[in-house]
Amino acid sequence: MSAEPTRLTQLIPTGYGSEDPAICHAFRHVEEAKPPVSRSGKRFTVCHRDDLKPGERRIVDDGRQGIGVFNIGGRFYAIKNVCPHAGAELCRGTVHATHRPSDVGEFDAAYHGRILRCPWHGWEFDIVTGKGLYDRTGRVATYPVEIDEAGNVVVMT
Amino acid sequence: MPDFPIIDMDIHPRESRAFPLEPHIPSYVVEALKQRLGGSPQNGYANPTGSYERRDAVCLDPKQTAIDHLDRYNIAYAMIQPPGMSVSLTNQIDVGNALAIAWNDWLIENWLKADPRYLGSISINMRDPAAAVAEIRRCAAHPQMKQLCIPGEADDLYGHRRYYPIYEAAAEHGLAITVHPGSEGALHSVTPVGRVSNYFEWHTLIPLTYQAHLVSLIAEGVFEKFPSLKFILCEGGVAWLCHTMWRMEKNFKGLRATVPWLKRLPSEYIFEHVRLTTQPLEEPHRAEHLLQIFDMVKAEKTVCFATDFPHWDFDDPDRVFPKSMGDHLRRRILYENSAEIFGLPTLDETMAKAAVGATRPSPAIAD
Repeated sequence: MSAEPTRLTQLIPTGYGSEDPAICHAFRHVEEAKPPVSRSGKRFTVCHRDDLKPGERRIVDDGRQGIGVFNIGGRFYAIKNVCPHAGAELCRGTVHATHRPSDVGEFDAAYHGRILRCPWHGWEFDIVTGKGLYDRTGRVATYPVEIDEAGNVVVMT
Repeated sequence: MPDFPIIDMDIHPRESRAFPLEPHIPSYVVEALKQRLGGSPQNGYANPTGSYERRDAVCLDPKQTAIDHLDRYNIAYAMIQPPGMSVSLTNQIDVGNALAIAWNDWLIENWLKADPRYLGSISINMRDPAAAVAEIRRCAAHPQMKQLCIPGEADDLYGHRRYYPIYEAAAEHGLAITVHPGSEGALHSVTPVGRVSNYFEWHTLIPLTYQAHLVSLIAEGVFEKFPSLKFILCEGGVAWLCHTMWRMEKNFKGLRATVPWLKRLPSEYIFEHVRLTTQPLEEPHRAEHLLQIFDMVKAEKTVCFATDFPHWDFDDPDRVFPKSMGDHLRRRILYENSAEIFGLPTLDETMAKAAVGATRPSPAIAD
Protein backbone atom coordinates (compact mmCIF):
# COMPACT_ATOMS: atom_id res chain seq x y z
CA MET A 1 0.00 0.00 0.00
CA SER A 2 1.44 3.34 -1.02
CA ALA A 3 1.92 5.97 1.65
CA GLU A 4 -0.80 8.60 1.69
CA PRO A 5 0.17 12.27 1.57
CA THR A 6 1.09 13.79 4.93
CA ARG A 7 -0.68 16.84 6.29
CA LEU A 8 -0.66 17.16 10.03
CA THR A 9 -1.42 20.48 11.60
CA GLN A 10 1.36 21.42 13.97
CA LEU A 11 -0.11 23.52 16.74
CA ILE A 12 1.89 23.89 19.90
CA PRO A 13 -0.14 26.17 22.16
CA THR A 14 1.20 27.94 25.21
CA GLY A 15 1.61 25.61 28.16
CA TYR A 16 1.40 22.29 26.35
CA GLY A 17 5.12 21.80 25.90
CA SER A 18 6.82 20.74 22.71
CA GLU A 19 5.51 17.18 22.48
CA ASP A 20 3.31 16.29 19.50
CA PRO A 21 -0.38 16.42 20.44
CA ALA A 22 -1.59 12.90 21.24
CA ILE A 23 -3.71 12.44 18.13
CA CYS A 24 -1.05 13.86 15.78
CA HIS A 25 1.41 11.45 17.39
CA ALA A 26 -0.96 8.52 16.75
CA PHE A 27 -1.35 9.44 13.08
CA ARG A 28 2.38 9.91 12.66
CA HIS A 29 2.77 6.32 13.81
CA VAL A 30 0.20 5.26 11.20
CA GLU A 31 1.98 7.19 8.44
CA GLU A 32 5.36 5.69 9.28
CA ALA A 33 3.77 2.22 8.95
CA LYS A 34 6.76 0.31 10.31
CA PRO A 35 6.42 -3.36 9.33
CA PRO A 36 5.50 -5.80 12.12
CA VAL A 37 8.00 -8.40 13.35
CA SER A 38 7.53 -12.04 14.23
CA ARG A 39 8.44 -12.81 17.87
CA SER A 40 7.36 -16.38 18.68
CA GLY A 41 8.32 -17.96 15.36
CA LYS A 42 4.91 -19.71 15.16
CA ARG A 43 3.20 -19.89 11.77
CA PHE A 44 -0.53 -20.11 11.11
CA THR A 45 -1.85 -20.90 7.65
CA VAL A 46 -5.07 -18.99 6.95
CA CYS A 47 -6.27 -20.03 3.49
CA HIS A 48 -5.24 -19.82 -0.16
CA ARG A 49 -4.69 -16.23 -1.20
CA ASP A 50 -7.40 -16.51 -3.86
CA ASP A 51 -9.91 -17.29 -1.12
CA LEU A 52 -9.35 -13.98 0.70
CA LYS A 53 -10.36 -11.23 -1.71
CA PRO A 54 -9.68 -7.48 -1.29
CA GLY A 55 -11.96 -6.09 1.39
CA GLU A 56 -12.43 -9.53 3.00
CA ARG A 57 -11.17 -10.86 6.31
CA ARG A 58 -10.71 -14.15 8.13
CA ILE A 59 -10.23 -14.78 11.83
CA VAL A 60 -7.65 -17.52 12.31
CA ASP A 61 -7.39 -19.63 15.49
CA ASP A 62 -3.99 -19.22 17.10
CA GLY A 63 -4.97 -21.14 20.23
CA ARG A 64 -5.50 -17.84 22.03
CA GLN A 65 -7.97 -15.07 21.22
CA GLY A 66 -7.50 -15.33 17.45
CA ILE A 67 -5.90 -13.19 14.77
CA GLY A 68 -7.76 -11.20 12.14
CA VAL A 69 -6.28 -11.38 8.63
CA PHE A 70 -7.39 -8.65 6.23
CA ASN A 71 -6.91 -8.22 2.48
CA ILE A 72 -6.58 -4.49 1.91
CA GLY A 73 -6.13 -3.62 -1.75
CA GLY A 74 -4.43 -6.94 -2.53
CA ARG A 75 -2.04 -6.93 0.44
CA PHE A 76 -2.48 -9.00 3.57
CA TYR A 77 -2.33 -7.75 7.17
CA ALA A 78 -2.76 -9.57 10.49
CA ILE A 79 -3.89 -8.01 13.76
CA LYS A 80 -4.68 -9.50 17.15
CA ASN A 81 -8.40 -10.10 17.70
CA VAL A 82 -8.56 -8.33 21.07
CA CYS A 83 -9.43 -4.74 21.78
CA PRO A 84 -7.10 -3.38 24.48
CA HIS A 85 -9.96 -1.40 26.00
CA ALA A 86 -12.48 -4.03 27.15
CA GLY A 87 -11.40 -7.24 25.48
CA ALA A 88 -13.95 -7.33 22.66
CA GLU A 89 -13.28 -9.38 19.53
CA LEU A 90 -11.85 -6.42 17.67
CA CYS A 91 -11.73 -8.08 14.25
CA ARG A 92 -15.50 -8.46 14.13
CA GLY A 93 -15.73 -4.67 13.83
CA THR A 94 -16.43 -2.61 10.72
CA VAL A 95 -13.70 -1.46 8.32
CA HIS A 96 -13.79 1.98 6.76
CA ALA A 97 -11.94 5.30 6.50
CA THR A 98 -11.30 7.90 9.17
CA HIS A 99 -10.64 11.62 9.43
CA ARG A 100 -7.06 12.69 9.92
CA PRO A 101 -6.26 15.61 12.24
CA SER A 102 -7.39 18.71 10.39
CA ASP A 103 -8.03 22.38 10.83
CA VAL A 104 -11.22 23.36 12.64
CA GLY A 105 -14.23 22.90 10.38
CA GLU A 106 -12.47 20.64 7.87
CA PHE A 107 -12.83 16.92 7.24
CA ASP A 108 -9.76 15.22 5.84
CA ALA A 109 -10.88 11.69 5.00
CA ALA A 110 -8.05 9.19 4.70
CA TYR A 111 -7.00 5.54 5.04
CA HIS A 112 -10.06 4.16 3.26
CA GLY A 113 -10.53 0.46 3.95
CA ARG A 114 -7.69 0.43 6.48
CA ILE A 115 -9.37 1.50 9.72
CA LEU A 116 -10.95 -1.10 12.00
CA ARG A 117 -13.62 0.06 14.43
CA CYS A 118 -14.12 -2.08 17.54
CA PRO A 119 -17.62 -3.58 17.57
CA TRP A 120 -18.20 -2.64 21.20
CA HIS A 121 -17.25 1.01 21.88
CA GLY A 122 -16.15 2.16 18.47
CA TRP A 123 -12.46 2.74 19.16
CA GLU A 124 -10.55 2.99 15.88
CA PHE A 125 -7.39 1.10 14.98
CA ASP A 126 -5.17 1.18 11.93
CA ILE A 127 -5.06 -2.40 10.64
CA VAL A 128 -1.60 -1.92 9.10
CA THR A 129 0.19 -0.75 12.24
CA GLY A 130 -2.27 -1.70 15.01
CA LYS A 131 -2.10 1.90 16.26
CA GLY A 132 -5.17 3.15 18.10
CA LEU A 133 -6.37 6.54 16.81
CA TYR A 134 -7.80 7.75 20.13
CA ASP A 135 -4.70 8.54 22.23
CA ARG A 136 -0.92 8.58 22.29
CA THR A 137 -0.04 5.03 23.29
CA GLY A 138 -2.92 2.64 22.55
CA ARG A 139 -2.23 -0.11 20.04
CA VAL A 140 -2.96 -3.73 19.15
CA ALA A 141 -0.34 -6.30 18.16
CA THR A 142 0.15 -6.84 14.42
CA TYR A 143 2.01 -9.68 12.73
CA PRO A 144 3.86 -10.20 9.45
CA VAL A 145 2.05 -12.11 6.74
CA GLU A 146 3.65 -13.99 3.87
CA ILE A 147 2.46 -16.04 0.92
CA ASP A 148 4.08 -19.49 0.89
CA GLU A 149 5.16 -21.49 -2.16
CA ALA A 150 1.68 -23.03 -2.48
CA GLY A 151 0.06 -19.57 -2.52
CA ASN A 152 -1.30 -19.85 1.02
CA VAL A 153 -1.62 -16.83 3.34
CA VAL A 154 0.56 -17.48 6.42
CA VAL A 155 0.61 -15.40 9.63
CA MET A 156 3.87 -15.40 11.59
CA THR A 157 3.39 -14.51 15.24
CA MET B 1 -8.34 36.21 57.98
CA PRO B 2 -6.12 34.08 55.68
CA ASP B 3 -2.45 34.30 56.72
CA PHE B 4 -1.39 35.22 53.19
CA PRO B 5 -2.87 37.58 50.57
CA ILE B 6 -5.58 35.97 48.47
CA ILE B 7 -7.42 36.65 45.21
CA ASP B 8 -11.21 36.75 45.08
CA MET B 9 -12.50 35.93 41.60
CA ASP B 10 -16.08 37.10 42.05
CA ILE B 11 -17.40 40.24 43.70
CA HIS B 12 -20.55 42.08 42.71
CA PRO B 13 -20.85 45.83 43.04
CA ARG B 14 -24.02 47.34 41.69
CA GLU B 15 -25.29 50.73 40.76
CA SER B 16 -26.20 53.09 43.61
CA ARG B 17 -27.39 56.61 44.14
CA ALA B 18 -23.83 57.68 44.86
CA PHE B 19 -22.43 55.80 41.86
CA PRO B 20 -25.17 55.84 39.22
CA LEU B 21 -24.95 54.37 35.74
CA GLU B 22 -26.89 57.21 34.15
CA PRO B 23 -23.97 59.68 33.57
CA HIS B 24 -22.13 56.98 31.61
CA ILE B 25 -24.93 56.13 29.20
CA PRO B 26 -24.00 57.25 25.66
CA SER B 27 -26.15 60.22 24.66
CA TYR B 28 -27.43 58.51 21.51
CA VAL B 29 -29.47 56.00 23.50
CA VAL B 30 -30.78 58.24 26.26
CA GLU B 31 -34.05 58.82 24.42
CA ALA B 32 -34.23 55.16 23.40
CA LEU B 33 -34.02 54.13 27.06
CA LYS B 34 -36.76 56.65 27.94
CA GLN B 35 -38.83 54.89 25.29
CA ARG B 36 -38.16 51.66 27.21
CA LEU B 37 -35.89 49.99 24.67
CA GLY B 38 -33.50 48.78 27.38
CA GLY B 39 -35.56 45.73 28.26
CA SER B 40 -34.32 42.17 28.32
CA PRO B 41 -36.05 38.85 29.00
CA GLN B 42 -35.91 37.57 32.57
CA ASN B 43 -35.94 33.94 33.61
CA GLY B 44 -38.60 34.44 36.27
CA TYR B 45 -36.70 32.78 39.12
CA ALA B 46 -36.31 35.41 41.82
CA ASN B 47 -34.35 34.74 44.98
CA PRO B 48 -37.05 33.95 47.56
CA THR B 49 -35.56 36.17 50.23
CA GLY B 50 -36.27 39.22 48.11
CA SER B 51 -32.65 39.96 47.22
CA TYR B 52 -29.52 38.20 46.03
CA GLU B 53 -27.56 39.98 48.72
CA ARG B 54 -26.62 39.15 52.26
CA ARG B 55 -28.52 41.11 54.86
CA ASP B 56 -25.31 42.06 56.64
CA ALA B 57 -23.33 43.41 53.69
CA VAL B 58 -23.56 45.70 50.70
CA CYS B 59 -21.19 46.34 47.83
CA LEU B 60 -22.12 49.81 46.69
CA ASP B 61 -19.19 52.05 47.57
CA PRO B 62 -15.69 51.17 46.35
CA LYS B 63 -13.88 52.66 49.36
CA GLN B 64 -16.23 51.03 51.84
CA THR B 65 -16.04 47.65 50.10
CA ALA B 66 -12.25 47.87 50.26
CA ILE B 67 -12.56 48.09 54.04
CA ASP B 68 -15.48 45.67 54.50
CA HIS B 69 -14.21 42.99 52.18
CA LEU B 70 -10.67 43.44 50.78
CA ASP B 71 -9.02 44.48 54.04
CA ARG B 72 -11.06 42.11 56.15
CA TYR B 73 -10.06 39.01 54.19
CA ASN B 74 -6.54 40.00 53.16
CA ILE B 75 -7.62 40.17 49.50
CA ALA B 76 -4.81 41.35 47.25
CA TYR B 77 -7.01 41.40 44.15
CA ALA B 78 -10.76 41.11 43.64
CA MET B 79 -12.29 40.47 40.24
CA ILE B 80 -15.41 42.53 39.70
CA GLN B 81 -18.15 40.69 37.81
CA PRO B 82 -20.26 43.71 36.90
CA PRO B 83 -24.00 44.01 36.23
CA GLY B 84 -23.06 44.73 32.61
CA MET B 85 -22.38 41.03 32.06
CA SER B 86 -26.02 40.64 31.02
CA VAL B 87 -26.22 43.34 28.33
CA SER B 88 -26.03 40.50 25.79
CA LEU B 89 -29.65 39.71 26.56
CA THR B 90 -30.95 43.22 25.78
CA ASN B 91 -33.73 42.90 23.21
CA GLN B 92 -32.63 45.95 21.20
CA ILE B 93 -29.16 45.19 19.93
CA ASP B 94 -27.89 48.80 19.63
CA VAL B 95 -29.09 49.61 23.12
CA GLY B 96 -27.29 46.47 24.31
CA ASN B 97 -24.09 47.75 22.73
CA ALA B 98 -24.53 51.17 24.36
CA LEU B 99 -25.20 49.64 27.77
CA ALA B 100 -21.94 47.67 27.49
CA ILE B 101 -20.11 50.98 26.98
CA ALA B 102 -21.96 52.54 29.91
CA TRP B 103 -21.17 49.71 32.32
CA ASN B 104 -17.52 49.64 31.31
CA ASP B 105 -17.11 53.38 31.86
CA TRP B 106 -19.02 53.11 35.15
CA LEU B 107 -16.68 50.35 36.29
CA ILE B 108 -13.51 52.17 35.32
CA GLU B 109 -14.54 55.57 36.72
CA ASN B 110 -16.01 54.39 40.02
CA TRP B 111 -14.29 51.14 40.95
CA LEU B 112 -11.04 50.58 39.10
CA LYS B 113 -9.88 54.12 39.82
CA ALA B 114 -10.74 53.80 43.50
CA ASP B 115 -8.37 50.98 44.41
CA PRO B 116 -5.72 49.08 42.41
CA ARG B 117 -6.85 45.86 44.07
CA TYR B 118 -10.00 45.88 41.98
CA LEU B 119 -9.71 44.00 38.70
CA GLY B 120 -12.18 44.70 35.93
CA SER B 121 -14.30 42.69 33.52
CA ILE B 122 -15.20 44.15 30.15
CA SER B 123 -18.93 43.88 29.49
CA ILE B 124 -19.76 43.09 25.86
CA ASN B 125 -22.82 42.32 23.76
CA MET B 126 -22.36 38.74 22.55
CA ARG B 127 -25.21 39.25 20.07
CA ASP B 128 -23.17 41.75 18.06
CA PRO B 129 -19.63 40.36 17.74
CA ALA B 130 -18.39 43.31 15.65
CA ALA B 131 -19.54 45.79 18.30
CA ALA B 132 -18.19 43.52 21.03
CA VAL B 133 -14.76 43.52 19.37
CA ALA B 134 -14.81 47.32 19.15
CA GLU B 135 -15.66 47.53 22.85
CA ILE B 136 -12.90 45.07 23.75
CA ARG B 137 -10.40 47.20 21.83
CA ARG B 138 -11.66 50.37 23.54
CA CYS B 139 -11.30 48.96 27.06
CA ALA B 140 -8.49 46.42 26.87
CA ALA B 141 -5.74 48.99 27.35
CA HIS B 142 -6.89 49.72 30.90
CA PRO B 143 -4.32 47.91 33.05
CA GLN B 144 -6.91 46.61 35.55
CA MET B 145 -9.18 45.17 32.83
CA LYS B 146 -8.22 41.50 32.81
CA GLN B 147 -11.16 39.61 31.32
CA LEU B 148 -14.51 39.61 29.56
CA CYS B 149 -17.55 38.65 31.60
CA ILE B 150 -20.40 37.00 29.70
CA PRO B 151 -23.61 35.36 30.92
CA GLY B 152 -24.34 31.65 30.89
CA GLU B 153 -27.48 32.32 28.88
CA ALA B 154 -26.81 32.86 25.19
CA ASP B 155 -28.33 32.55 21.74
CA ASP B 156 -25.87 29.79 20.90
CA LEU B 157 -23.49 27.53 22.77
CA TYR B 158 -20.13 29.21 23.17
CA GLY B 159 -18.36 26.86 20.79
CA HIS B 160 -20.33 28.41 17.93
CA ARG B 161 -18.17 30.14 15.34
CA ARG B 162 -20.30 33.30 15.39
CA TYR B 163 -18.29 34.17 18.50
CA TYR B 164 -14.86 33.72 16.88
CA PRO B 165 -14.24 37.48 16.39
CA ILE B 166 -14.76 37.99 20.12
CA TYR B 167 -12.41 35.14 21.01
CA GLU B 168 -9.82 36.42 18.57
CA ALA B 169 -9.93 39.88 20.18
CA ALA B 170 -9.75 38.40 23.68
CA ALA B 171 -6.75 36.28 22.73
CA GLU B 172 -5.04 39.20 21.02
CA HIS B 173 -5.37 41.35 24.14
CA GLY B 174 -4.55 38.57 26.59
CA LEU B 175 -7.99 38.69 28.20
CA ALA B 176 -9.57 35.65 29.82
CA ILE B 177 -13.30 35.04 29.39
CA THR B 178 -15.47 34.41 32.43
CA VAL B 179 -18.89 32.84 32.09
CA HIS B 180 -21.09 33.91 34.99
CA PRO B 181 -24.63 32.74 35.80
CA GLY B 182 -27.51 35.11 35.96
CA SER B 183 -30.17 34.68 33.38
CA GLU B 184 -30.28 31.02 32.44
CA GLY B 185 -33.81 30.26 31.34
CA ALA B 186 -34.44 33.77 29.96
CA LEU B 187 -33.95 32.69 26.33
CA HIS B 188 -34.15 28.92 26.68
CA SER B 189 -35.06 26.60 29.52
CA VAL B 190 -32.43 26.10 32.21
CA THR B 191 -32.90 22.37 31.56
CA PRO B 192 -33.13 20.74 28.13
CA VAL B 193 -36.33 18.98 29.20
CA GLY B 194 -38.51 21.75 30.48
CA ARG B 195 -38.85 24.69 32.79
CA VAL B 196 -38.21 24.37 36.50
CA SER B 197 -40.60 25.70 39.14
CA ASN B 198 -38.44 27.75 41.44
CA TYR B 199 -35.14 29.37 42.33
CA PHE B 200 -34.03 26.29 44.29
CA GLU B 201 -34.20 24.09 41.19
CA TRP B 202 -32.84 26.83 38.93
CA HIS B 203 -29.81 27.56 41.07
CA THR B 204 -29.03 23.86 41.55
CA LEU B 205 -29.06 23.25 37.79
CA ILE B 206 -26.75 26.08 36.68
CA PRO B 207 -23.97 23.51 36.06
CA LEU B 208 -26.09 22.07 33.22
CA THR B 209 -25.50 25.27 31.29
CA TYR B 210 -21.80 25.15 32.08
CA GLN B 211 -21.50 21.54 30.96
CA ALA B 212 -23.17 22.46 27.68
CA HIS B 213 -20.84 25.41 27.04
CA LEU B 214 -17.76 23.43 28.05
CA VAL B 215 -18.51 20.47 25.79
CA SER B 216 -19.29 22.89 22.95
CA LEU B 217 -16.10 24.93 23.42
CA ILE B 218 -13.95 21.82 23.31
CA ALA B 219 -15.78 19.81 20.63
CA GLU B 220 -16.13 22.73 18.23
CA GLY B 221 -12.39 23.32 18.39
CA VAL B 222 -12.31 26.79 19.99
CA PHE B 223 -9.06 25.93 21.79
CA GLU B 224 -7.46 24.66 18.59
CA LYS B 225 -8.48 27.86 16.86
CA PHE B 226 -7.38 30.15 19.72
CA PRO B 227 -4.60 28.30 21.53
CA SER B 228 -3.98 30.95 24.18
CA LEU B 229 -7.61 31.44 25.20
CA LYS B 230 -8.68 30.77 28.81
CA PHE B 231 -12.26 30.30 29.94
CA ILE B 232 -13.23 30.70 33.58
CA LEU B 233 -16.50 29.06 34.61
CA CYS B 234 -17.61 31.15 37.56
CA GLU B 235 -20.08 30.17 40.26
CA GLY B 236 -21.03 26.85 38.71
CA GLY B 237 -19.35 24.45 41.12
CA VAL B 238 -16.46 22.03 40.71
CA ALA B 239 -17.54 18.41 41.26
CA TRP B 240 -19.41 18.07 37.96
CA LEU B 241 -16.20 18.58 36.02
CA CYS B 242 -14.98 15.04 36.84
CA HIS B 243 -18.08 13.49 35.34
CA THR B 244 -18.25 15.69 32.25
CA MET B 245 -14.52 15.39 31.56
CA TRP B 246 -14.45 11.59 31.89
CA ARG B 247 -17.65 11.12 29.91
CA MET B 248 -16.36 13.36 27.14
CA GLU B 249 -13.03 11.57 27.10
CA LYS B 250 -14.65 8.13 26.97
CA ASN B 251 -16.86 9.22 24.09
CA PHE B 252 -13.91 10.85 22.34
CA LYS B 253 -12.15 7.50 22.11
CA GLY B 254 -14.96 6.05 20.02
CA LEU B 255 -16.11 9.21 18.26
CA ARG B 256 -12.90 11.17 17.57
CA ALA B 257 -13.35 10.93 13.80
CA THR B 258 -16.46 13.11 14.09
CA VAL B 259 -14.37 15.94 15.60
CA PRO B 260 -11.09 15.43 13.74
CA TRP B 261 -9.79 18.92 14.53
CA LEU B 262 -9.27 17.82 18.14
CA LYS B 263 -5.64 16.83 18.39
CA ARG B 264 -5.61 16.33 22.13
CA LEU B 265 -7.77 14.48 24.62
CA PRO B 266 -10.64 16.53 26.07
CA SER B 267 -9.02 16.49 29.52
CA GLU B 268 -5.88 18.07 28.08
CA TYR B 269 -7.89 20.99 26.71
CA ILE B 270 -9.67 21.36 30.04
CA PHE B 271 -6.51 21.45 32.14
CA GLU B 272 -4.85 23.92 29.79
CA HIS B 273 -7.73 26.26 28.99
CA VAL B 274 -10.48 25.99 31.60
CA ARG B 275 -10.66 27.26 35.16
CA LEU B 276 -13.42 26.96 37.74
CA THR B 277 -14.19 29.29 40.61
CA THR B 278 -15.04 27.79 43.97
CA GLN B 279 -18.13 29.56 45.22
CA PRO B 280 -20.69 28.09 45.88
CA LEU B 281 -18.40 25.23 46.75
CA GLU B 282 -19.88 21.76 47.10
CA GLU B 283 -20.07 20.63 50.72
CA PRO B 284 -19.93 16.81 50.73
CA HIS B 285 -21.14 14.91 53.80
CA ARG B 286 -17.52 13.99 54.45
CA ALA B 287 -15.24 16.98 53.98
CA GLU B 288 -12.32 14.86 52.77
CA HIS B 289 -14.36 13.88 49.71
CA LEU B 290 -13.95 17.45 48.49
CA LEU B 291 -10.18 16.98 48.57
CA GLN B 292 -10.56 13.84 46.48
CA ILE B 293 -12.58 15.80 43.93
CA PHE B 294 -9.92 18.53 43.94
CA ASP B 295 -7.38 15.83 43.13
CA MET B 296 -9.53 14.50 40.26
CA VAL B 297 -9.91 17.91 38.60
CA LYS B 298 -6.27 18.93 39.19
CA ALA B 299 -7.42 21.77 41.42
CA GLU B 300 -3.81 22.82 41.97
CA LYS B 301 -4.09 24.24 38.45
CA THR B 302 -7.77 24.61 37.62
CA VAL B 303 -9.62 25.90 40.70
CA CYS B 304 -9.69 29.56 41.76
CA PHE B 305 -11.13 30.94 44.97
CA ALA B 306 -14.19 33.23 44.91
CA THR B 307 -16.53 34.66 47.53
CA ASP B 308 -19.43 36.07 45.47
CA PHE B 309 -19.45 39.01 47.90
CA PRO B 310 -21.99 40.35 48.86
CA HIS B 311 -24.39 37.71 47.60
CA TRP B 312 -26.46 35.39 49.78
CA ASP B 313 -24.40 32.25 49.18
CA PHE B 314 -21.07 33.83 50.10
CA ASP B 315 -18.09 31.54 50.85
CA ASP B 316 -15.68 32.59 53.62
CA PRO B 317 -12.04 31.81 52.73
CA ASP B 318 -11.29 30.68 56.30
CA ARG B 319 -14.27 28.38 56.61
CA VAL B 320 -15.16 26.92 53.25
CA PHE B 321 -12.25 24.51 52.73
CA PRO B 322 -11.65 21.34 54.77
CA LYS B 323 -9.15 21.94 57.58
CA SER B 324 -7.10 19.04 56.26
CA MET B 325 -6.41 20.82 52.94
CA GLY B 326 -2.66 21.22 52.56
CA ASP B 327 -0.86 24.56 52.42
CA HIS B 328 0.31 24.04 48.84
CA LEU B 329 -3.20 23.50 47.49
CA ARG B 330 -4.52 26.33 49.66
CA ARG B 331 -2.05 28.74 48.08
CA ARG B 332 -2.77 27.48 44.56
CA ILE B 333 -6.53 27.89 44.95
CA LEU B 334 -6.58 31.06 47.03
CA TYR B 335 -3.96 32.96 45.04
CA GLU B 336 -1.66 31.41 42.49
CA ASN B 337 -4.09 29.87 39.98
CA SER B 338 -5.87 33.19 39.57
CA ALA B 339 -2.63 35.19 39.46
CA GLU B 340 -1.28 33.00 36.66
CA ILE B 341 -4.39 33.45 34.51
CA PHE B 342 -4.15 37.23 34.69
CA GLY B 343 -0.38 37.63 34.83
CA LEU B 344 -0.51 39.18 38.31
CA PRO B 345 2.48 39.33 40.69
CA THR B 346 3.37 36.01 42.33
CA LEU B 347 2.31 35.28 45.88
CA ASP B 348 5.88 35.83 47.07
CA GLU B 349 6.03 39.21 45.33
CA THR B 350 2.69 40.24 46.80
CA MET B 351 3.72 39.09 50.29
CA ALA B 352 7.03 40.96 50.01
CA LYS B 353 5.21 44.11 48.96
CA ALA B 354 2.75 43.74 51.85
CA ALA B 355 5.63 43.30 54.30
CA VAL B 356 7.32 46.50 53.07
CA GLY B 357 4.00 48.33 53.33
CA ALA B 358 3.50 47.10 56.88
CA THR B 359 6.94 48.12 58.17
CA ARG B 360 7.21 51.48 56.45
CA PRO B 361 5.75 54.23 58.64
CA SER B 362 2.89 56.06 57.01
CA PRO B 363 3.53 59.76 56.28
CA ALA B 364 1.12 60.77 59.01
CA ILE B 365 3.11 58.87 61.64
CA ALA B 366 6.48 59.99 60.25
CA ASP B 367 5.45 63.59 60.49
